[in-house]
Amino acid sequence: MKMFSVSHKTAFVVDHCPYMAESCRQQVECDVLTKSRGQGMIPLAPVSKSLWTCAVECSMEYCRILYDVYPLKKLINYIVSDSEFHILNSWRQEDQSTHELMSALAAVGPPNPQEDPECCSVLHGLVAAVESLCKITEYQHEARTTLMDTADRVANRGRIICLTNAKSDTHVRMLEDCVQETILEQNKMAAGSDRLMPIQQCELVLVHIFPQGEDTLVSDRPKKEVSSLLTSEVHSVRAGRHLATKLNILVQQHFDLASTTITNIPMKEEQHANTSANYDVELLHHRDAHLEFFKSGDLHMAGSTSRDSGLKETVTLKWCTPRTNSVELHYCTGAYRISPTDVNSRPSSCLTNFLLNGRSVLLEQPRKSGSKVISHMLSSHGGEIFLHVLNSTRSTLEDPPSISEGCGGRVTDYRITDFGEFMRENRLTPVPESPDTEASGKPPAERAKAQLERYTRYWPMIISQTTIFNMQAVVPLANLIVKESLSEEDLLTCQKTVYNLVDMERKNDPLPISTVGSRGKGPKRDEQYRIMWNELETLVKTHVAGSERHQRVLDCIIACRSKPPEEEERKKRGRKREDKEDKAEKSINKDSEDKSWQESERLKGVVERVKEEQGESEVIKDSPDSPEPLNKKPRLEEIQLPEKAKGPVSLLTMWTNRITVANSRKHQEFAGRISSVNNKAELYQHLKDENGMDLHENGKATR
Amino acid sequence: MPTVVLMDASLSMTRPVSLEQCSEELQRKNLAVAGLTMLFEHMANNYRLEFTSLVAFSSLWELLVPFTRDYNTLQEALNNLEDYDKTCLESALHGVSNVVQQEWGHACPTQVVLVTDGSLGIGKGSLRHSLQTLKGRPEDKKFPLPFPFPAKLFVMCIANAEELQMTDTMHNLEQLLQLNGGDGQIFTMEGQLCLKSVQSMFGRLIDEVYSPFHAALYFPAVLRCGNLASDVQVFPRPEPVFLDEEIDPMPRHILTDLEIVGFIEIGDISSPPVMSRHLVLPIAVNKEVDDVGPGTTEEPEEETSANQQAGKVPNFCVLLHGSLKVEGMVALVQLGPEWYGMLYSQADSKKKSNLMMSLFEPGPEPLPWLGKVSQLGPISDAAENPYGEDDSKSPFPLQPKIKRSYAQNVTVWIKASGLQTDVQKILRNARKLPEKTQTFYKELNRLRKAALAFGFWELLKGVAELLERECTLLPDTAHPDAAFQLSHAAKQLKLASTGDSQYAAFDQNINPMHTDFSGGGAGM
Repeated sequence: MKMFSVSHKTAFVVDHCPYMAESCRQQVECDVLTKSRGQGMIPLAPVSKSLWTCAVECSMEYCRILYDVYPLKKLINYIVSDSEFHILNSWRQEDQSTHELMSALAAVGPPNPQEDPECCSVLHGLVAAVESLCKITEYQHEARTTLMDTADRVANRGRIICLTNAKSDTHVRMLEDCVQETILEQNKMAAGSDRLMPIQQCELVLVHIFPQGEDTLVSDRPKKEVSSLLTSEVHSVRAGRHLATKLNILVQQHFDLASTTITNIPMKEEQHANTSANYDVELLHHRDAHLEFFKSGDLHMAGSTSRDSGLKETVTLKWCTPRTNSVELHYCTGAYRISPTDVNSRPSSCLTNFLLNGRSVLLEQPRKSGSKVISHMLSSHGGEIFLHVLNSTRSTLEDPPSISEGCGGRVTDYRITDFGEFMRENRLTPVPESPDTEASGKPPAERAKAQLERYTRYWPMIISQTTIFNMQAVVPLANLIVKESLSEEDLLTCQKTVYNLVDMERKNDPLPISTVGSRGKGPKRDEQYRIMWNELETLVKTHVAGSERHQRVLDCIIACRSKPPEEEERKKRGRKREDKEDKAEKSINKDSEDKSWQESERLKGVVERVKEEQGESEVIKDSPDSPEPLNKKPRLEEIQLPEKAKGPVSLLTMWTNRITVANSRKHQEFAGRISSVNNKAELYQHLKDENGMDLHENGKATR
Repeated sequence: MPTVVLMDASLSMTRPVSLEQCSEELQRKNLAVAGLTMLFEHMANNYRLEFTSLVAFSSLWELLVPFTRDYNTLQEALNNLEDYDKTCLESALHGVSNVVQQEWGHACPTQVVLVTDGSLGIGKGSLRHSLQTLKGRPEDKKFPLPFPFPAKLFVMCIANAEELQMTDTMHNLEQLLQLNGGDGQIFTMEGQLCLKSVQSMFGRLIDEVYSPFHAALYFPAVLRCGNLASDVQVFPRPEPVFLDEEIDPMPRHILTDLEIVGFIEIGDISSPPVMSRHLVLPIAVNKEVDDVGPGTTEEPEEETSANQQAGKVPNFCVLLHGSLKVEGMVALVQLGPEWYGMLYSQADSKKKSNLMMSLFEPGPEPLPWLGKVSQLGPISDAAENPYGEDDSKSPFPLQPKIKRSYAQNVTVWIKASGLQTDVQKILRNARKLPEKTQTFYKELNRLRKAALAFGFWELLKGVAELLERECTLLPDTAHPDAAFQLSHAAKQLKLASTGDSQYAAFDQNINPMHTDFSGGGAGM
């Protein structure tokens, strides 16, 4: 349906002239006497509604259904007409509720039979209705302002439903002419105004109401074109339930509604609590909920029955004993608000209360073949009940290749649990609209995206790619550093985390680091810590631009991690040599060992300061539900590159090395070879020594 | 997008093609089969997920192969195609319409490939005749076009354009396309009719419709969650969407950058209505795979195809899918300005599951129970965690400002029973005064409000009389308060029924009368 179709604006004009005070002559017995009390009592005389009461309650029923199914954007303007017109509400959305209208109607009260019939007419109301249709609604205004240059695309159409008691067909024609003239007049005025719009199309629905037992003076007439702007139709209806049925049909026609009857609803009997009878409840909703039936032509086949002499159709769907739950994600192609036709009957209220309590019901479509097809679901969301349309045809997406067969499908150590935690932290919540949030710039959804950006600046996807995220001890810092701003307390927590790590290093606690390649013992402990510190630095560096406190976290890490850069450089080389010696002679490089020991000593002061505040520093083992990490080399490439470039050691080389080592033990090595670099010995070294040159550099390259 | 191949099996298809260089005599049918073979091979190699079916027609039609992904079956049926009588396209199109609707319903976009020699029958049942009698047909004998589902129609003519233009065939085929809303294309052969030219014609069809990436089937995109990203293919390609055609007549396409906004629990998003569903398949773009673990290089030399390599590179889609599945959540993804969708794990069977994307209807508020999507922010924006510290709460669903009629105790008296029930309720409570004082007045005020709004003053008087009668019927053992309350209520109703604004105000309530008994008197 187009946004600004004739259904966007509906003006109700209800006749409030003296003759509407007449009784509809349908009596309601409201004093139902029970047998035990009935004796000797004169029951109260039955009451009867006036034509006015019938018109008002049926129009309110029309509004109730409309507001249930379309709480927004379908607007009603209620006008009462006697010697003058009374507009009971406006097009504004906040005026659109049955409560508002009932309150206004109570203030109007029933028509006064004593009033002079000559001064009263429904015409006043019709004129007011046309004027009102020219008034721009907030939705039209909004559409016009957003479109600017194509504002003329915003249409102004409307419908007038007039409930009256007409004198004759001529009287009806007179009413139509009057509406037509008023439209022309008002359109002229509207052309020159900002707050008014000319009417492009108007549907006049005249409902002539007459009391039970009288003959109608006005004949029914289907929709006809009065002019290019105005169409008109006349319905002549007896007051009472006939009028109610008529307006129920009209609201369905006007707003593309359709009816579904839920059958076989099991309900406990009041008297016999342990038995249950089956009931039917009729619901109205947008007719697109039946789209599949319309298209396939099934509508007239099964389940569809006609009632009330073919004027009304309903599709029957069968209640399935609830077996769906809220964590199931159904493939649902539409969801439409419903309104029960008989809202306060016991079966209706039982069904709606059941749904409002948060339960869902699957509905089954009866088929000729007797097969069972679940086609719909009733479910409530926040106090509103929706009829969901479930897909019941074959899907082109059936039997797709599993995600494990595609890219990245063979990787087995994704940080599934960690990402789950990440998702929980990045759940969304509705933020109330307020002028403040607009002032702060970004709309909430953009802030949510910005948060995702911050949280993912450094986020390794697999367990074997990371050390720090496998360590419980890093968690406080990792959780805080992604925040947009840090408090002084947050900063302190981050710093404590760093000190804690320093202490772990001093104590030489093992790290959950994966081993290099598949052979050997993996990196040495100090190398592990170096990797860990590097990773931590990478994480924090991505956030330093955030605030000065983020920078201070980084400063803290740089200050605390064991080695200043140049020393580390030296140590790196030392380590390399150490590795070689380890293999060849298993000797210990005391020099290097001393150094790291000294480092630890230097840090002891820092460590002891924070000691009592430290919690248990624990290493998380890889979570039990995740697979064993691959033996994957952590980020060592840049350091190991030179070695790697040499390629694997061949058997010959190993053998030769071994023989050489064995042989070297048997004789004293030639002095020149000992001090050689790349098998080249520098001659006259003593000259340099004497000149006080440091031999250390050279010595490093020797064995 | 499923394809229906509609193959002309009429006698005219057996007309020989004159060929100088070829010794073997070829029929037009052979050319058609050769072209379709090429199409099937292409599909089998590139679109393993596509469904295709084969329908043959002459004066009757027959579904030779129902929708399948097995192209061998299709090829076999094609090779065994027999020759029949004359061409009757209208009934065949009805057949296609039935076949598609039975299989996929009315919402699934479909491609129809009609292969014919361009002689579309004569007399009754011919296309010319069908088109001439389009107007004034009864409802049950409508021409099958436009199809009730979105469909593209491709006509593959085993004839060249000159041949078709000599008769009115071309004109009729163009009319057929127009009936389908102009969605489709007519292909003809260029130059001499031979294997080469039929292959070039089907080649053009493949290029325009079935070629990878730019074609109608897959949609290449990048899925992003902050700095995590993955190249993906969206299958089937999302169709452009038209909103209110009056105000917003432009077709809307989804962006190639699909950005995740945040995450929501499945229970909170609660089976939302969607326009379409799509598989999100991660793809390896021809980038040097930069982070292959060193382990692979040391492995014994085995055939590591590009696919296997890609399988070992961590991919964000797989991580996201795994966590969505474990946590029972969906990711809200932005598809365009004011257009959103959701990503979730969809399990086909116990073993196979996939990352799926569903598109919501475009608009700022696709799901009333979530509110405006632009107003959904990170939980850190809220003063306290709306999910509670132990995940016991949820900010969803949003409650509407005004309750629906079925959620508030509305009064409807259209049926007499409604009115009787309400009156009886008051009387029942009246007999149990003073215990039921609160309920009595609540029901009384509800009736009063409705009666005032409906201008039903007569009812107010009637109920007042009923209450007065109840007063006289009170047993001697009754609490003295009961009589006071009943006569007080009756008096107030009578006053209201006069319409006197002092007593008949809608928002005013009748309050229980304050008596000496109502305080501590209950124990008497």
